[in-house]
Order: sequence, then structure tokens, then C-alpha cells
Amino acid sequence: MVEFIDITKKYPNGTVALKGINLKINKGDFAFIVGTSGSGKSTLLKLLMKEETATEGEVIVNGYQLSKLPPKQIPYLRRGIGMVFQDFRLLPNKTVYENVAFAMEITECLPREIRRQVPMSLALVGLSRKANAYPHQLSGGEQQRVAIARALVNNPALLIADEPTGNLDPENSWEIVKLLSEVNQRGTTVIVATHEKSIVDAMKKRVIAIDKGKIIRDQQKGLYRDEDTEYSLYTEGRF
Amino acid sequence: MKIRSIRYILKEGFKNAYRNRLMSLASVSIITAALILFGIFYLILINLNHNLDLLYQKPQMQVYCLPELTDEQVAAVRTEIANNKYIESFQEVSKKEAFEQLKKYLESDKKDLGGAEILEGYDESMMFVSFTVKVKDPQDSSKVAKELEALAGVDNVKYSQQTIDMILKISHWVKLVSFILIGMLLVISLFIIANTIKLTVFARRKEINIMKYIGATDWFIRWPFVFEGILIGLLGALIAFVIVAYIYGFAQQKLTTEFASGLDMVQFGDAWGMLVLIYIGISSLIGASGSAMSIRKHLHV
Repeated sequence: MVEFIDITKKYPNGTVALKGINLKINKGDFAFIVGTSGSGKSTLLKLLMKEETATEGEVIVNGYQLSKLPPKQIPYLRRGIGMVFQDFRLLPNKTVYENVAFAMEITECLPREIRRQVPMSLALVGLSRKANAYPHQLSGGEQQRVAIARALVNNPALLIADEPTGNLDPENSWEIVKLLSEVNQRGTTVIVATHEKSIVDAMKKRVIAIDKGKIIRDQQKGLYRDEDTEYSLYTEGRF
Repeated sequence: MKIRSIRYILKEGFKNAYRNRLMSLASVSIITAALILFGIFYLILINLNHNLDLLYQKPQMQVYCLPELTDEQVAAVRTEIANNKYIESFQEVSKKEAFEQLKKYLESDKKDLGGAEILEGYDESMMFVSFTVKVKDPQDSSKVAKELEALAGVDNVKYSQQTIDMILKISHWVKLVSFILIGMLLVISLFIIANTIKLTVFARRKEINIMKYIGATDWFIRWPFVFEGILIGLLGALIAFVIVAYIYGFAQQKLTTEFASGLDMVQFGDAWGMLVLIYIGISSLIGASGSAMSIRKHLHV
């Protein structure tokens, strides 16, 4: 599903964001990517979307070899990936329904498909009753659920959530994570970048820890912090 | 792009233009100004050409003989004209015909002076024979005129070359001035439209960002902006057309009464088809290019 092979990413200003990353996430997996800001987490996600291109190595997503992907094909790569952000990124002047339908309009779906798919997607996130509300009339948790509905409406094989609970209180955070887990159980591969310790610890899913551009830990049923790696981080004064 | 997306593109284009209406208005006005100017110059040129054509078709030359010529002398002039290889055809106006024409003219146009009555006591012997000559190629007019003027018994030769030369000179200057002025205005329009589109792009950058993440193709994102530019252009063209049509109607009325003789104006109905096509062409081209400039610079898809 997703594979990073010997990835190095240098930015033009000389920063080395990732070096020697090897990573494989299989279809149907649920993985947390944890790490402090500046660890290279965001760069990793940007490579997946081909927002950035790796300096060295190959990224494979949904069967696309991203180093060889012509720019014209990028939209089609992205249609196979649902994206959820910390700041929701909903359009304020569109209703919940319209926000979700928007994702289908711009990928040029048939109106018939849109009318069928949007209510299904809203039902999945439990917001059917709020279809006609505007984003500002919703709570943060509800807004994030709309964003998830939008990410899922085109039936992507992969869902990427970048700090999805960053703006939410613990209760809403839980709702969102449970929802992501449900989505995963329906067969979608889910990658969540986060630094919310409690959630990672409670979910007991795969944890990929990144620090200074390197994978320092890749553990099935892992915790946010591992005793072995914690020591080294501690000595660096991160906590 | 799919057909069903056209509706989306048109809707977004209209919405963007409206949301950004102050700048849209500015863009529309400058395009209107450029096209009004263009329309006026265009119609002036059309009319000049039209009158030029009429002059070319008209009998090119009047050859006036001296009144005291005998019939034999007139016949000699006639033979000379008939044998001139540059002359296509000619018509003789006899003294009698000339007298009748003068009478008719006085009767109809100079009634206040007493009409034909002032010719009381005169007869056709005061008149002179003239020839209306049509030259094969108008370019030879001045040469032919000189030859005929040199003939014995010919008083003078009048021909329309002077007028033709003047019209050609005017139309040359009209073309030059209009080219520069319209060119300048169109370039200004281009930049103002580009700026308008830039504002729209900035106002919608959040939406554009989301569209990119969801997987909209580049052209799907660009088209509404291109259409917005074209829309602004077409709106400017429409306003300009209405104003030019109005001005022309007014001018036609004024000028035809002012210059009752000599000036024949093209009916607006004959000219508007071409004008509309040119307007649509120029305005949508400028609109689309303005957008394209802005999109290249500011819409990084």
C-alpha cells in the first residue's frame, strides 16, 4: 500500500528533513506516526501526497511510483488518498452536505453518484441530521467528522490524518479516533500523525516514531513512548 | 474536462466576478473604454472606405470645353477622348442638356433666388459642352487629366483624385492613431484584469488548497478563473457595443444632414455583424490572457 525505500529529503535551504527512511505500511493497516514538531513527520506525509518529492529513494503509494509520477497524474494519486487536517479545512460558506459533495464535484462525479454517496458518508460519521448546518454551527468534533466524511466520500484506499485531534478536547478526540478505527475496520488503510500520548497508548496499534528525520522505533501494538528510546530523548532535554 | 463541470465553472466564474465586484467593475470599464474607442475608429474607417468605393465608382472626371467651341472642335475633343487608351467610357453632355440641368437645379434648389426665372432671356448658347469620363484604373486619373487638359478647346478637367488622396491620408492617420491608442488601452485592460483575477485567487486560496488535496485537476481549478476573465471581457464588450451603436445612430443623423452632399454613411445595420464578432474576439482574448497571466503567477496548482 505505502512503501518508503531509502528516502532522503533535503530542502533547498539545506535542512535534511528525512534520511534513510525505510517503511512499509500494508493494506488495511492502522499506523500512528509519532514525533515532535520538526521531527520530519510532516515531510513524511507531504511525500505521500507528492506535495514534496524525495531527494533520494522511492515512495510507492497505491501502486504509484511517486518519483516517476508526472505532475498531471498527481490529482489522480490524491483521489485515492483521503486527507484529514488538524484545522479541519472546511469551506465556511458551504453547508455540511455541500462540503462533502464538493469533494465529489471537483473530481467530476455524476450528480446521481453524489446524491447517493454523500448521505452514506455523512451517515458513517453520524452527522446525517446536521447535513444542512454550516461549519460554524458545529462543535470542533463535529467539524472534524465532516472533514472525515469528505475524505471518505470518494472511497479512498488510504486515509491520512495529520494531527486530527490537535484542536479537540479529550472527549471529542476519542470520538474521532474511534471513528478512524471504525473506518480502518471497514478496510481502509489509516495513517495518523499525532503527538497525543493518551490516544496512542490506549489504541495499542502500530507506532512509528520519528526523530530528527529517522525512524527510531517501529512497533506493533506500541505505546507513545518506549522505555528504550525514552532515555535518549530524555537526555536531549525534550521533556 | 467533462460537460457537467461546465455548469460548475460558469457558476463559480459568475460568483467570483460578483464577489470581487469593485475590481470587476474597474476591469469592465477599461475594456469598455478601449472597445468604444475601437468601435468609433472602426466605424470611421468603414465609412471612409465606403466613400472611397463610391468615389471610385463615380464618373471619375468632368472635362469642360470652352463655350465658344464650334461643333467640329467639339468633335475633335470627342475623338481624342474616345481614342485615349486609359479611358473606359465617356458620356457627352451637350449644351442643351447642360442648360436643362442648370434650370432643373435652380428650380429645385435655388427657389429663393427666383428659380429658373433668372435664366429669362438666356439660352443654351451660354452653356458649354462637357464630357463625363470614366477612367479604367483610378490610379491613372492624374495622368489622364493632364493629357485632356492639354487638348485644344478644353477649359479645365475636374476629377475626384484630390478627394481620394485626402480620404486615403485621413484613413492612414486614423489607423495609426487608433492602433496606438487602442493598443495602449488593451494592454492596460490586460493588467487590470490580471489584477482582478489575482484578488480572486487570493480570496479563494483556502478553497484552492482544499481542492488540490482532494484531487481536483489543475485545469478544473483554473477554468473558473479563466472564465471570470472572459466574462469581464464580454461584459465590457456588451456595454461598449450598446454605447457605440447609440453614438453611431446619433452621428449618422447629424452628419448626413450636415454634409448632405458627398458624404454617404454606412448603415449601422450593415456594419454591426462584423463589429460584434471583433468585439467578442478581442474581449474574450484579453480576458482570457489577463487570467492566464495571473494564474501563471499566483495560482500554483
